[in-house]
Amino acid sequence: MAKILIPTPLRQFADKKDSFEVSAGTVGEALGQLTAAHADLKRHLYNDEGKLRSFVNIYVNDEDIRYMNKEATAVAANDTISIVPSIAGGR
Amino acid sequence: MISIDREAWDVMVAHARSTYPNECCGAMLGHVESDKRVVTAVPLENAYAGGQQERYELRPEDLLKADREARSRGMDLVGIFHSHPDCDAYFSATDLKNSCPWYSFVVISIRGGEFDHANSWLPNEDQTAAIKEDLRY
Repeated sequence: MAKILIPTPLRQFADKKDSFEVSAGTVGEALGQLTAAHADLKRHLYNDEGKLRSFVNIYVNDEDIRYMNKEATAVAANDTISIVPSIAGGR
Repeated sequence: MISIDREAWDVMVAHARSTYPNECCGAMLGHVESDKRVVTAVPLENAYAGGQQERYELRPEDLLKADREARSRGMDLVGIFHSHPDCDAYFSATDLKNSCPWYSFVVISIRGGEFDHANSWLPNEDQTAAIKEDLRY
């Protein structure tokens, strides 16, 4: 099974779990299983149009899915999916 | 409330001083319970491609590494820090727009290369405002 690592601030919406195991063929399916099991997570990851929020990056192991097949990126057993925010700023 | 251990705080201020007059950035690792405690600060490279005196950008892959380090040490990614050279430690419109509502954002004011003051900010869910968080260091 692949594993999704849940960022600390979102664990309160996932029964305090730090990870969630999925049996999925793609990143989209994996995240769908996560948000189906923990519906409160959905609004933190997706916008009203059902797209990943602008600051949400998804990695499969060390690869950013933006540079692969986005949510259609394949997921294999033993892969680790990470949710990583984009952060920038300035005075 | 967010409290920052002395060793971590010293690393954050040293990073802000060493990158002056550019903005610095980094990750804060520690524990999140009823309050937040920062145990370790991880200086990260400012990846902004333009003038870094007024902007910073974190590489997501650097943040991913910091999060992995936190997990491997039984800690959490608590927040992000960055510096404002020669201006106050407010949370600017640029900070807000490019933030993430999940974490604490500590802003360090550096004036003339020396620490001046700091604030911690919590962006709201739609990143339209940020409230000041009680910060202890």
